[in-house]
Amino acid sequence: MSSPRSARSSRPPRVRTLALLLVAGLLAAACGPASATAIAAQGLEPGPDGWRGIPLERERSMPEATLLDTEGAEVALHEAFAGTPTLLFFGYTSCPDICPIHLAAIASAMGTAGVSFDDLDVVFVSVDPDRDTPERIDDYLANFSRHMVGLHGDLAVVEDALAQLDLPGPIVEGPDPRGEGDLIGHPAQVIGFDADGQALRTWPFGARRSDWISDLPRIVEEWS
Amino acid sequence: MTVAWWCSSTPGQIWTWRYTPFIGVWVVAATFIGGYLLAHRRAGRQVDPRLLRRWVLGVLALFLVSEWPIGQLGVGYLATVGIARYIVYTFVAAPLLLAGLPDWLVVRWFPDGSRRRRVLAAVTTWPIALLLFNAVLFGTHLPITVDTLKVTQLGSFGVDVLHLGAALIWWWPAMQKVPAGNAIEEPLRAFYLFASSVLMFVPAAFLTFSPLPLYGLYELAPPLWLGFDPTADQQAAGVMMNIGGGLVLWAIIATLFLRWAAAKEAEDTAARRVRNEATLARIAALEAETAGTPGAVGLDPDRPASAD
Repeated sequence: MSSPRSARSSRPPRVRTLALLLVAGLLAAACGPASATAIAAQGLEPGPDGWRGIPLERERSMPEATLLDTEGAEVALHEAFAGTPTLLFFGYTSCPDICPIHLAAIASAMGTAGVSFDDLDVVFVSVDPDRDTPERIDDYLANFSRHMVGLHGDLAVVEDALAQLDLPGPIVEGPDPRGEGDLIGHPAQVIGFDADGQALRTWPFGARRSDWISDLPRIVEEWS
Repeated sequence: MTVAWWCSSTPGQIWTWRYTPFIGVWVVAATFIGGYLLAHRRAGRQVDPRLLRRWVLGVLALFLVSEWPIGQLGVGYLATVGIARYIVYTFVAAPLLLAGLPDWLVVRWFPDGSRRRRVLAAVTTWPIALLLFNAVLFGTHLPITVDTLKVTQLGSFGVDVLHLGAALIWWWPAMQKVPAGNAIEEPLRAFYLFASSVLMFVPAAFLTFSPLPLYGLYELAPPLWLGFDPTADQQAAGVMMNIGGGLVLWAIIATLFLRWAAAKEAEDTAARRVRNEATLARIAALEAETAGTPGAVGLDPDRPASAD
């Protein structure tokens, strides 16, 4: 009877080579990042000035656009939020990832940092007028904070507001794998405006609670 | 159908209940069971059904928490499920696998005098095993490790291999596998296991008491439901590590300790019985001797021992 060692060494080298190639192939296939957004897990890096939000290179103002709040009242963006720093975000209530992550992070960080909604407006503008009824927007925002402002309007008005900020309009990306209609592509960043309505910084997707806790008190102190 | 090698975090990927098989998990499970049976066949040994059952249960535990959906939920969406996976790897799968491993197979895989055996003997001495286990526990739960490694399938696979490897090494001396010189028993074994359960409270406390999510991976994952709070999920994960892991481990410590105490008790009783029998035999012999001597004081308990 041959010993285990000799049995192993007598195994055809081709089988071993094939096995090694198979393992190497599987491991190589497993090496790639799981998705393009995987890098976002680390959060935002602080800039030289300590801010986590990214400064805007071009000057932009609060869009001159009139939308409706969830009670049907007209809201002129450039007038309604003058005098208070504002975080503006374009999204939709069926959004499975970016919108709920951003809004939950902001609401939670405001609580932790002790920043009041009296000192900072957080505005959500729907890019999905077909599905986002006022009631639906209200219910949606209630998952994060009842103090957030929900706005909606004709798609053309929303697209115009986005264009004034040099942001692309919403696009239908295809069916939601959860079976909830279509996914809509939309700008993933939150835009920060000072009390004069000047856009100063953006927070891309990947901003974590710790990033907001670092920046929110400065927004209130320096932008009011 | 999407197919992947191993479960990994996929930020931006919406969770759906669509089955995603992880080929690597099937390959590993098949290798574990196939390798076990093949090793018996090569050695010309009969498979012990009792040991095989334990081995298969260990593999099944690994399989269930690594395959979809638990594997994917634990690595990409819920810290609670992630910690549950760790507990199953460490406190369920690893001891079951070791309990199903016959000593002759260990000797076959780690032959006497081989380098592999020397490495095994070195890493399974209890202080080294305790150190390695806790180094892996702490190292693999650091946010930088989780957020860096678990976003690739290979990294996630590596972390799982580390968890299982460290758990096997850690259980090795406690389960008294060969080499026999490394086996520990009570009270040292109880201390060894207890020390780890106490050290486990440290990462568990960080998870439970941190006011912010420590892992970007879970914080930025598409939420499974609206209003999902990653901080609450993390706190639940910490409590699970503390209570779940602690309770499982303490139950094991108590079982092993009580079993050891019962064995000691039985040993003592047997020794006492032998001593008593020897004493009785000596008494009987003395009695027999004195019974033949006229005027001698009898040792019969029914008779007075003294004439006074």
